[in-house]
Amino acid sequence: MIRRLLSIAVSLISALLIVSCGGGEVSPVLRLALQTEPTNLDPALAVDYSSGWVSSLIHSNVVRFEPDGSIAPDLARSWSVSADGLEYVFHVTGGMFSDGRPVTAIDVERSLTRLVDPSTASPRWWVLEPVAGASDFHAGRSGGCSIKARDDSTLVIRLGSPASHFLSLLAMPAAGIVSPAAADSLGRDYGRTPTGSGPWRLVSWTSGDEIVLERNPFSCEAAAGIPGINIRLIPESMTRIAEFEVGNLDILEIPPAELELWRSAGVRLLRSQELRIVYIGLNTEKAPFDDPRVRRALNMAVDIDLVIGRLLFGAAERATGVVPAGLRGSPLPGPLYRYDPEGAVRLLEEAGYPDGFTMEIWQRENPESGRILESMQGFLARAGIEVKLVTREWSAFKQAVDMGTPDAFYLDWFADYPEAGNFLVPLFHSESRGGGGNRAGFSDAAVDSILDAASAVSDPAARWELYAEAEGRVLEAAPWIFLWFPVRYEVVSHRLEGYEIPVIFNGQRFTGVSLR
Amino acid sequence: MGRFIARRLLLLIPILFGVVTVTFIIMYVIPGDPVLSLVGERYDEETLDRLRGELGLDRPLALRYIDYLGRVARFDFGRSFVTGRPVLDTIQERFPRTLALAGAAMLIAVAGGLAAGAVAGSGRVPWVGKGLMALTLVGVSIPVFWLGLLLIHLFAIKLEILPPSGYGGGSIRYLILPALTLSFASMATVARVTRAGFLEAGSEDFVRTARAKGLGERAVMGKHVFRNALIPVVTIVGTDFGSYLGGSVLTESIFGWPGLGRLIVQSILRRDFPVIQGAVLFMAILFVLVNLIVDISYGFIDPRIRGEGAKE
Repeated sequence: MIRRLLSIAVSLISALLIVSCGGGEVSPVLRLALQTEPTNLDPALAVDYSSGWVSSLIHSNVVRFEPDGSIAPDLARSWSVSADGLEYVFHVTGGMFSDGRPVTAIDVERSLTRLVDPSTASPRWWVLEPVAGASDFHAGRSGGCSIKARDDSTLVIRLGSPASHFLSLLAMPAAGIVSPAAADSLGRDYGRTPTGSGPWRLVSWTSGDEIVLERNPFSCEAAAGIPGINIRLIPESMTRIAEFEVGNLDILEIPPAELELWRSAGVRLLRSQELRIVYIGLNTEKAPFDDPRVRRALNMAVDIDLVIGRLLFGAAERATGVVPAGLRGSPLPGPLYRYDPEGAVRLLEEAGYPDGFTMEIWQRENPESGRILESMQGFLARAGIEVKLVTREWSAFKQAVDMGTPDAFYLDWFADYPEAGNFLVPLFHSESRGGGGNRAGFSDAAVDSILDAASAVSDPAARWELYAEAEGRVLEAAPWIFLWFPVRYEVVSHRLEGYEIPVIFNGQRFTGVSLR
Repeated sequence: MGRFIARRLLLLIPILFGVVTVTFIIMYVIPGDPVLSLVGERYDEETLDRLRGELGLDRPLALRYIDYLGRVARFDFGRSFVTGRPVLDTIQERFPRTLALAGAAMLIAVAGGLAAGAVAGSGRVPWVGKGLMALTLVGVSIPVFWLGLLLIHLFAIKLEILPPSGYGGGSIRYLILPALTLSFASMATVARVTRAGFLEAGSEDFVRTARAKGLGERAVMGKHVFRNALIPVVTIVGTDFGSYLGGSVLTESIFGWPGLGRLIVQSILRRDFPVIQGAVLFMAILFVLVNLIVDISYGFIDPRIRGEGAKE
């Protein structure tokens, strides 16, 4: 009996080893990995990073982002803007849906109108909010908005008021052009089986495992380069690293803690400053954080350079402003708040807190932020502030922060489109308080009016002047503990050519890359 | 036996009713609003209200509960809040993969565990037995996460004979490492319990009698000792298998295995109520059924238990 059992066990193991040998051929397609699975590939319903990223490979837009963040023609081969900045005329030609139908201006009109249509219930309809009549249409007070196809190849969009960033909005994933016929017939299933006119089309989506894209045979954009893209869904970073090490992935993002290891490994390492800011928001509507002196003292009490060096291994640049370097018209200012624990204590005394106080900092579940906040806890303790860290998972965290429950919260913001206004307006305009992005509840009438004025200015240099003024006022008021702009590192396989890390997440569509 | 099974199946109804009710209440008691996970970083109240209306979250709780009970009774689990896919489709897609992983893990655990336990319990090669028992101690205490990464490092990176992760369209090559990882703790428990069973049964009167009447050692071990040692093993295998069928979050995450466990965790994080409720209900049904099968199988291994069942 025992011998029989043993022989079963041995034969089982040898059978496993036999099937385990094999494979090993080199794949002709680009192989990528995503940490989280997309939820929905319908541009109107894609809100998370993964969904927007994959959706952008499948759908083309009226205009699109280049990897460096600049605007390039997409379905619209050219366009003109009226002198008052209100009327945009796009010439739509040459686009082909992946089912072989040409993209007309009428398709574009229907697709963009669908995004605003209240019956679509798109959480991203605000992308087209500057369009005249869009707000009324979305609220159900009218039957449409000012997006009209004049003929098969001419699209006219009228804005309610000038918006210098309108082309960037049109390049966002939410403004991707869907095949209206497919969207109408598939309804809610469109997000699983999309039909776009982008360079790639969906072949298969095995939930939790892999998304397979192939070249859209009708699009001329992807004609050169690679035949397809396989996107593996791998939640664990250690597993993604293992997959890269055995040669199963062509691009891999490196966590900061692993940087040294890879630097010495002789691989091709790419570096890119992210358009993202990490901060601790202070609830400016709640005492004692309604006092700017207290908020400034908190900024002076923490040694941010030390945290960047020790805990982030240098993979970040200190946020001495709120607009990242890539979007500025002038260099980042020197730090307004230097690490000065005694100064912080003096400032707290002046504000009426000689013995400090107790506060909560909320964070979402994440081991890295835990380490960072524990260091903050230590710094603040030296200034007499006792910090309690409260951890919640994402949806509970978001609900509490948007309702203004926590004293302070650790969060980040990344650009939807590469414009300084995409940081300043959502984060600090009083109309964006709460869910609009201004979660510190910051409110300053002067900042509001500067930001309002800036969005109507079309000259970039003049606009930056205004943004810089608003930024200066925000830094002075210190509604946050300003932390850092993260730097992203990626390693790429030796066979990959022509790839660069995009400035904006949907700015790389892999049409310019090739595999040796 | 027939009456016993019928009674157990009838018992499913109150159990499932309880499961539905408890999960429903938990969903709405814990903090976190499902519509917030649908809107991204930037949104307005109007959009939230519209989405709440669309998903039926604006109706009174009691009404939603009654409505949900009615739909469950018709096997309609609704659509995912997040992906819009029918819940049943998602579960149907994920469950076979979880079944494959759980089945393979159990197979390895039972084959390896019984063999190791029998070798150690028969006491024929003492040092091998001791070594195996030490190994099982490692097996029950080793963290799944660490073991998984270790196996990836060894078999995928160093030896290059197995893929590190993924589903591979159902290829067995992709199943081996996750199944081995998942099986380890069960294999160790099975080995230890088998050994204990062997030692206990070996000193029983009936074994001595069997030896006294001149039965060969092989027959004694196979017919008498092994069979008696098997009962607690079946219990362990049943319980572990039942819980593996609900998905094994850690193993699935390390190996990127697209099973039920990851689906459930993702759904909980996103507050995707229909998927959570559907999946929990599905798991509850499976668990009850597996336990029923275990109970029935006792009867085949030990006729005395069958007799008690019949008397009922």
